[in-house]
Amino acid sequence: MATQAAAQNTEAVKLQKRRKPIPWGTIFTLMILGVGALLMIAPFMWIISAAFGKTTEVFVLPPRWFPQNPSLENFEEVFNQVPYHLFMFNSVKLAVIVTIGQLITCSMAAFAFARLQFPGKNILFVILLSSLMIPGQITIVPLFILVRNLGLYNTHLALILPGLINPFGVFLLRQYFVTIPTELEDAARVDGANVFTIYWRIILPLSGPVLTTLAILTFVGMWNAYFFPLIMINSPQLQVITVGLTLLRGQYGAGALGPIAAALTMAIVPVLIVFLLLQKYIIRSVVSTGLKT
Amino acid sequence: MSNKVMTYKAMKRREMLTAYAFILPTFVGFVIFIVGPMLASFAISLFDWNMLTPPRFIGLANFQQLFNDSRIGAVYLTTFKLAFMIVPTNMILGLSLAVLLDRKMPGLVRSFFKVSFFFPFVVSAVAVSIIWTFMFHRDLGPFNYYLGLLGIDRIPWLNSSTYSPFAIMIADVWRNVGFYVLVFLGGMQAIPRDFYEAAEVDGASVWKQFRHITLPLLSPTILFLTVISVIGALQIFEQPQILTNGGPGDATRTIVLYLYEQGFRFFDMATPLRLRSHCL
Repeated sequence: MATQAAAQNTEAVKLQKRRKPIPWGTIFTLMILGVGALLMIAPFMWIISAAFGKTTEVFVLPPRWFPQNPSLENFEEVFNQVPYHLFMFNSVKLAVIVTIGQLITCSMAAFAFARLQFPGKNILFVILLSSLMIPGQITIVPLFILVRNLGLYNTHLALILPGLINPFGVFLLRQYFVTIPTELEDAARVDGANVFTIYWRIILPLSGPVLTTLAILTFVGMWNAYFFPLIMINSPQLQVITVGLTLLRGQYGAGALGPIAAALTMAIVPVLIVFLLLQKYIIRSVVSTGLKT
Repeated sequence: MSNKVMTYKAMKRREMLTAYAFILPTFVGFVIFIVGPMLASFAISLFDWNMLTPPRFIGLANFQQLFNDSRIGAVYLTTFKLAFMIVPTNMILGLSLAVLLDRKMPGLVRSFFKVSFFFPFVVSAVAVSIIWTFMFHRDLGPFNYYLGLLGIDRIPWLNSSTYSPFAIMIADVWRNVGFYVLVFLGGMQAIPRDFYEAAEVDGASVWKQFRHITLPLLSPTILFLTVISVIGALQIFEQPQILTNGGPGDATRTIVLYLYEQGFRFFDMATPLRLRSHCL
C-alpha cells in the first residue's frame, strides 16, 4: 500500500516536473548577467573599502571587498593634502549654474524655433545643428586664446559662458515643443497673452519631462567635465573635482591607494545616491537621446 | 480695413522682433564661442605661431610639416587602432547583454541589472580611469590577482606596449558598455511582440528570430550607436592620459592627448591646429 502510494507520489512529482521543466535557459541568462553585474560593482566596493581602511594596510592581497577596522584616516589625509572641499564646492556650483543657464538659453531659442515665425528661421536652425557634426576639440585652441584675451583665463566664467551654449539642447527641446498642441496657445492669444506669457506660462509648464532630461544631461556632463577645466583653470582653489582627483594622484603616484580611494569615494558616493534616487529619469534621459534620432 | 491690415503687420513685426530676442543669447554665444573659434582655427593654421612671438604667415607649410612629423602618423595609427578595438567590443558586448536582459525575468531583477550596468557611465571617465590604474597594478592589483587564480601570469597592463591598449579598452568598455546595453534594450523593446509570436508559430528558431526580426528592426539603433561610438573613440582622452600617459613610448598616445600635450604643455599652438584641420 505504502509503496503504491509512494509510486503514485513519484509519478505525480514526475508529472509536475514535466509540466514545469527546469528553466535552464533562464538560469544561464541570470548567471551571465550576474557575473556582469558583479564585474561592474566589485571595483567600486574595493575602492570604498580601501577608503575606509587604515592608510598603512590597504593594497593587500587577496583584495578586500569590505572594510576591516574602519577608519577615517584616509579622508583626513586627503584634506591635509589638497582643498578637496573646494573642489567639490566648485563642481557643484558650476554644474548648478550651467544647468540652470542652459535651461533658460536653450528653452528660449527652442521656443522661437518651434513656435514663432521670423525670416531666416530655417537657415539659422540648420547652421546651429550643423555645428553638432564638428568635434569640440577643433575649437579648443582658439577658444583658449579668446578666453585669455577676454581676461577670463583661470576664472569660472571661462567654463560657464561657453557652457551656456548647447545646440543639441536647443534641438532636443525644439523637437518636444513642436508636439505641444497649439489650441492652448491660441486661446491664450485671444485672451491677450503676449509671446513671453505663452513661453513662460504654457510651453515651459507643459515640458517637464524634456526639461528634466536636458537638466540631467547637462548636470552629469558638467560634473564629469575634465578637458575644459584642465585647460582653463590654473589655481587649485578654483579647480573642480575631476582635475582635483588627478592633482591628488600627482602628489602620491601609483602607490598610495588609501587617500586616493577616499577622494574617489567622495566623488562617487554623491553621484551614486543621486543616481539611485533618480535612476528611472537618468536612464530614460540618457537613453532617449539615443533613440529619438 | 487698411487699419486692420496695418495692425496685423505690426503684430507680425512684433513677433519677429520677439523671436530674435529669444534666440539672441544662444546666437551671440554661438558666434563667439563656436563659429568664431572655428574660423580662427582655419586662419591660424596658415600661420607660424607659438603664442609668444607674433604670428607669421606661412600658408600651407604647416600642413606640409604635418606630413613630415613622423610622430603624427603614429598617433593617428594608435587612435584608429584603439577605436578599432573599442567600438566593436562595446557594440557586440552591449548587444549580447541587451539580448539577455530582454528575456523574461522579474521586473525588479531586470532593474537591478540595468542599474548596475549603467552606473559606471554616470561616474566621470577620470574617476573610472584612476580606479583602473589601481585595478591594473601589476603586483598588487585585484585584476592580476584573480587572473592569477585562473593560472594566468601577472601581466604588466600599463607598462607594456602590447597590453596597454587592451588596458585602455577594458577601462573604456567597463565604463561605457552599460549605455550600449540600455540603448539596445530600448530599441528591442520597441519591436512589437506580435512579430516574434508569428515567427514562433511558423517554427522559426531563436537564432532565426534574432537574425531576421531583431537585427533588421534594430538597424537604426545600430547605426546611431556606431556613429557616436566612433566619434567618441576617436576623441578618447582621459583613459590614455590617466592610465598610461600615452605610453609606453607612443603606444597609447591618441590624437587629443597629443594635441593637448603639444598645445598646452609645450605651447606649440600650430601643431594642434594642424592636427585638427587635418581631421576635417
